Amino acid sequence: MKHIFLYTTILITLLSSCNDAIKNEENKVVNEIDSLTTKVDSILPATDTATVVNVAVNPVGTNTVMLVQDQPDLIGFWVGYFEKKVTNDSYKKNIEAGDNLSWNRDNKINISIDQITDGKVKGHSIVAGNNRPFEGTIKEDETSFAFELSEPGDDKYDGKFSFGIKKDDAKLEGTWKAYKKIDIQEREYKLKKSVFTYNPEQKLDYGQPFGDWEKVKTTKLKDKEMIEYYGEFLKEYASATELIYEVNASTTLLKKKDVENLKKGDLLIIRNTIYARHGYSFKNRPLRVFFDAQEWYIPVHTQIIDELTDIEKQNIELLLKYEKNAKEYYDRFGRG
Amino acid sequence: MASLKNIVNLLLLVGLCYFSYLMILITLQYVPIDFSAAFLGVKEEEIKLTHYQIAFFTHVYTSIFVLIFGITQFSAYIRNKFAPLHRSLGKAYVLLVLLFAAPSGLVMGYYGNGGISSQISFCLLAVLWFWFTLKAYTSIRKKNFIAHRNYMILSYALTLSAISLRLFKWILSNTLELPPMDMYRIVSWAGWLFNLAIALLIISYKTNRRFKQN
Repeated sequence: MKHIFLYTTILITLLSSCNDAIKNEENKVVNEIDSLTTKVDSILPATDTATVVNVAVNPVGTNTVMLVQDQPDLIGFWVGYFEKKVTNDSYKKNIEAGDNLSWNRDNKINISIDQITDGKVKGHSIVAGNNRPFEGTIKEDETSFAFELSEPGDDKYDGKFSFGIKKDDAKLEGTWKAYKKIDIQEREYKLKKSVFTYNPEQKLDYGQPFGDWEKVKTTKLKDKEMIEYYGEFLKEYASATELIYEVNASTTLLKKKDVENLKKGDLLIIRNTIYARHGYSFKNRPLRVFFDAQEWYIPVHTQIIDELTDIEKQNIELLLKYEKNAKEYYDRFGRG
Repeated sequence: MASLKNIVNLLLLVGLCYFSYLMILITLQYVPIDFSAAFLGVKEEEIKLTHYQIAFFTHVYTSIFVLIFGITQFSAYIRNKFAPLHRSLGKAYVLLVLLFAAPSGLVMGYYGNGGISSQISFCLLAVLWFWFTLKAYTSIRKKNFIAHRNYMILSYALTLSAISLRLFKWILSNTLELPPMDMYRIVSWAGWLFNLAIALLIISYKTNRRFKQN
């Protein structure tokens, strides 16, 4: 009998560091500090403040002309994928996760042409949570407009845009080249003239491959970068259910009963869909890949706190509370 | 066979100690009193109520001792060699359950998460826990040792539902990955019905063996 107590004492000592069994201490919600003292200021995904420049965000006003004929028609948002330039080894830069999921590192970009006066152009571009101003020149001939635009150069990812827009068309086509040596040196893009309007009714498009991600979860991830960016992501998103298409946190004030049965992935997507509706440009890669793929989504802002409605703010607080609880306790022995 | 039985008993004891230790860790999350800690993060409406506050912290702070005091009570060795210890721990166990843990559990059950089904389950659990513990006490006062043993097996089986409920939850969330409230509704029943079934099996086994011996 003495031995029993000896063994259990030893065992308990060994296990005395197993707080993790009752609560997941590592797995904190992005920017979460304390659920009850959460201010709306601290609930957005992290933005790299060093690269955020305060540029007038929406200069477009009421220009909804989609077919470009004259210079004033050029003003506005031009939206599409900022693709890495195809070279012989460009496939190497892809991020793979097994057979079912791969991200080619293309981000959705919004090139905003804000002002054209006497051949001088001012504007800004928003991509991957980065809002950068540019300035340059415009040349017009019989059939098209040609732009040469430069970013300031004080950011690692600054570079030079060259693009053209044909008359009687609504497409912008061109290239971008980074000043500094970065991973993806050159980009190309075909953008469409787009008008951003905040639509609280906006629902998610179907067709995101949640099912496949579920499988990927069990696939051995070889790429280190892949694990870094997708490890957490896959775990969260694989668990999302059809409810992400039904629950709208911009139009309905959510109650406890609406959110208590939602899984981690549901909560995360439903909350971030609020940000996406406002045109928030996601710095967080997994969220960006997810929302970039949404047809309606346009990255417009890198700061949206002031845009949130009261319903949304309240829902964000509630969703965060349940996200925190789900992360800490859902798959642990401790009950939450 | 005797040695196999000893090994099994040892493993059960080690398991019980480990999970009791986890329960201590869970309890310590609420020390000092914090109305937003852990489980209370999703009980915001309820924790505003004074009677819920009293019930919750009474339950958390007393139940852990009920669980721990019960660990050695089923050992024949301790009962025989240290009878006063058995009696003292037993009295403390009964007192804590009847006056604090079960009544506060009933109040919490009334406000339980997961809707009417889990509320019924938790309330029923509290009532049965109280009933079995009371019967165990009154039967030993009448020197009815068999009834005392049987009711204590039932009472402690329900005490252990604190562990089994969380264990089932852990298994379900890591295998079927059910939505949280669906899971909660399942374990609110499974957590103690499973234990009650095991307890009844043990009692019937012991009773049969006794008849055979006679």
